[in-house]
Amino acid sequence: MNMVGLLARRIFGLGAGLSMALVFAIIFINSLRRYTVGSSVAWGEELPIYLTIYGVMFGCALAYLQDRHIRFTILTDLLRPGIRDRLFAGVDLLTIAAGIGLMLSGHDFASRRGHIAASGLRSLGQSLAETTGIEALEGLARIGTWQFAMTLGGAMLALAALIRFSERLTGDKTVA
Amino acid sequence: MIYALFLLLLVIGTPIAVTIFATILVFMGFGEAPYSLRIVATEMFKGMNSFPLLAIPLFVLAGEVMNESGITGRIIAFANVLVGRLRAGLALVNIWASVIFAGLSGSAVADTSAIGRVFIPEMEKHGYSRPFAAALTAASSVIGPIIPPSIPVIIYALIVSGVSVPALFLAGVMPGILLAIFLSVYVMLTVKVDRGNQAADLETVSRRSAVLGGILPLLMPVFVVGSILLGIVTPTEAASFAVAYALFLGIVVYRNIRLSRLPALFAGAMRDSAIILIIIGAVSAANWLLTYNRVPNLLTDWVLGNVDSQTAFLLATMALFLFVGLFLEGIAAMLVLVPILHPIAVGLGIDPVHFGILVIFNLMIGLITPPLGLCLFVAEGIAQVGMARLTRAILPFFFVEVLVLAVLTFVPETVLWLPRVLGY
Amino acid sequence: QTIRVAHVDPDDWTASKKGAAAHIFKNIVEGETDLTVELFPAGALGNEDELVAQAMDNVTQVVLVSGAMSKVCSAASVLDIPYTFSSATVAWKVLDGEFGKALGDHCLEQTGLRTLAYGETGFRNFTNNTRKIRKPEDMAGLKFRVQPIPLYLEMVSGLGGEPTPIAWTELPNALSTGVVDGQENPVGVIYNNGLHKLQKFMTLDGHVYAADFILISDEFFTGLSDAEKSVVQRAAIVAGNMGRSIQQWSTAEGVNKVQAEGMQVYSPTADEIAAFAAKAQPAVVEYLRKELGDDAEWIDRLQAAVASASE
Ligand code: NA
Ligand code: NA
Repeated sequence: MNMVGLLARRIFGLGAGLSMALVFAIIFINSLRRYTVGSSVAWGEELPIYLTIYGVMFGCALAYLQDRHIRFTILTDLLRPGIRDRLFAGVDLLTIAAGIGLMLSGHDFASRRGHIAASGLRSLGQSLAETTGIEALEGLARIGTWQFAMTLGGAMLALAALIRFSERLTGDKTVA
Repeated sequence: MIYALFLLLLVIGTPIAVTIFATILVFMGFGEAPYSLRIVATEMFKGMNSFPLLAIPLFVLAGEVMNESGITGRIIAFANVLVGRLRAGLALVNIWASVIFAGLSGSAVADTSAIGRVFIPEMEKHGYSRPFAAALTAASSVIGPIIPPSIPVIIYALIVSGVSVPALFLAGVMPGILLAIFLSVYVMLTVKVDRGNQAADLETVSRRSAVLGGILPLLMPVFVVGSILLGIVTPTEAASFAVAYALFLGIVVYRNIRLSRLPALFAGAMRDSAIILIIIGAVSAANWLLTYNRVPNLLTDWVLGNVDSQTAFLLATMALFLFVGLFLEGIAAMLVLVPILHPIAVGLGIDPVHFGILVIFNLMIGLITPPLGLCLFVAEGIAQVGMARLTRAILPFFFVEVLVLAVLTFVPETVLWLPRVLGY
Repeated sequence: QTIRVAHVDPDDWTASKKGAAAHIFKNIVEGETDLTVELFPAGALGNEDELVAQAMDNVTQVVLVSGAMSKVCSAASVLDIPYTFSSATVAWKVLDGEFGKALGDHCLEQTGLRTLAYGETGFRNFTNNTRKIRKPEDMAGLKFRVQPIPLYLEMVSGLGGEPTPIAWTELPNALSTGVVDGQENPVGVIYNNGLHKLQKFMTLDGHVYAADFILISDEFFTGLSDAEKSVVQRAAIVAGNMGRSIQQWSTAEGVNKVQAEGMQVYSPTADEIAAFAAKAQPAVVEYLRKELGDDAEWIDRLQAAVASASE
């Protein structure tokens, strides 16, 4: 499980970092371009939002692995360590359930009307698909591609909670 | 029933976002109305699907880059030249470094962690108690989101359409400085250990080079706020300019950020924003359910039926926000309450900019109050003195901040003078 | 039974077309049937896309939406072809006649949403801060904020302007600081949001006529008794007309008020409008034909309906 935990941290960190970098780059370059050349791209508003939503999903899973989530500790701090660990293991199980719930809800959300085009991303998806010849890139223009973030996020959260749960049982210490 | 479940999950230490959506899932599963499971994901997605919210990750990133680039050290040296030799000099440097930091950063948490890492050990070395140092750091970092740029201001203008971001930005300047002055007076009256000569120890560089070293970081607010006022960018986009400027200083000018550090910085910033943004998402799903069941209408009717004067309304809302701020993260609290209370405030003739700053100031006090205070958590993480001792140490600062809030509430000019003079 | 009625406009019936429509719908239905009507104005239950989705799931029963309709029923986007309707009365004839009925039936098949009636969001007009716009050439080089919808991007670049997507929430700041030079919206929206204080010039070119769709979940509708169906249908038609009247009222009042507050308003002549149409229409029509595929026949059906209504 230790290997799995390390790998998960890597992947979640990569997803979060990549989305942060792209969001910064797109917003910065797009506003600079609008001011200097006078033109900006149609997807400069929508794409960073969707990338951030993916980033949030990766970031949440990472934060769960690192025990960084915002929560009340005022009462749990008073408990003896042994009892507290058992309680937190229970919270892990609950989070697994909530993550699966979010995953199902997200799947339902993205599959129902996901074929609708995200208006600002239309031209981007089409031109990318045309220039590269990869049909799948047209999926960038479909809202479902981005709504899928909720499904993935639920799954990653459940996975993160499962990893923490097993780490608590085996007594592995979290390394950031 | 559902509220009992919610509270139970909270007190056993379940992450707040998980608590909210677990509660909603249970409610939807056993509710009788035509709910569909899809609504949870739909509303969470919608809650995060907003351009102004991107100010959160961008400003958090700017804060992380500033910490890494050595800007913090230069700000402290600069503040030291200003106030370091006065009575309680180190405490004053802590406060006024926060004021300068506030001009660069939109987030209080970034300020606590940046200044806390330097000051908590330093103040202890000079005879201050460690809980006091941690408490002062957290309390003064509240200034961060009051003075522009500010994440809560951008979010407030997102919730209440028609309130201008530049007006709110300007309106925050005086309250922020007023808070710094009140905190300064308090520490000068109460601190006995520091007669002002110890600050000299901080002077690792000459006063002249401390002032010169402060210039580039101090240009940042000029650059960021200037780019908004000159029409180059929108307030959200300006956050990306703050990041770019901090990166430029760290990589090109000071050369203390290695490019290999960037992935970790980016990932950390997204992770720290994610824990706030996911709560915003979960709260908007909860908001949908409350609205669908007409809870806000009931609340509005109740307020309108029981409160009829401006003063009574302001007193009641300020008490309500202080109470809510104990338990809820500030932006989440705004999302729930502002859509209900803002129209009532305007209806009673309260200036929307005044009300906005009062709400923001009030909720930022919540950053230092237990059981849920983000700056308190961060300060505790650095100082390691235990929540109980830190809570006792923060209490006097809490009262000072509530006093400033009272001044802002009953003397609207303290908020509105600057935006009015500048034509907003 | 409860009918939940949702829209994104303000509640105040004296100034808000959808607010007025929703209120009269509630009064008629509650007065003449045992149904309860709950109103959710001002986007309380979500933006237009979400309201449409909720109505498709019968979570919210009646929704009043404008632009969101064409996202789920693409044939409806033909109404957005610029400079199609020479006046609102022509649009009313077309929408209340055979064309509107046929479009409603088609969209019902596609979405499970029944179009009870059409209201109106109004004609959209250009405003800017640089110069008076009389002809398309005057738009050259100006940055106009548009929604990131391909049809609008095609239209503005066809006219020679620079389409610039900016979030609605950031628009007032973007206009006041000059991030963009202009924008386009119905007069009521411009006045109610104070955009006229940030812009010197308005041209009443009426490039796009935005209809309101009063939609009901068909699943819910078919579950009603015949008597209830007939009241709901009639109430919606009255609501649509009420919405149109309030919209006309606030546009007429708005044009006067923005001028009183210092905005220069220009009404183009028929020839000038023709010049705008000549620049903007071909690009948009060509784009739509490609985009709509089989549904492209609706372009021709609309043009025929407009021609016969204009006689
Ligand atoms: Na600030
Ligand atoms: Na708090």
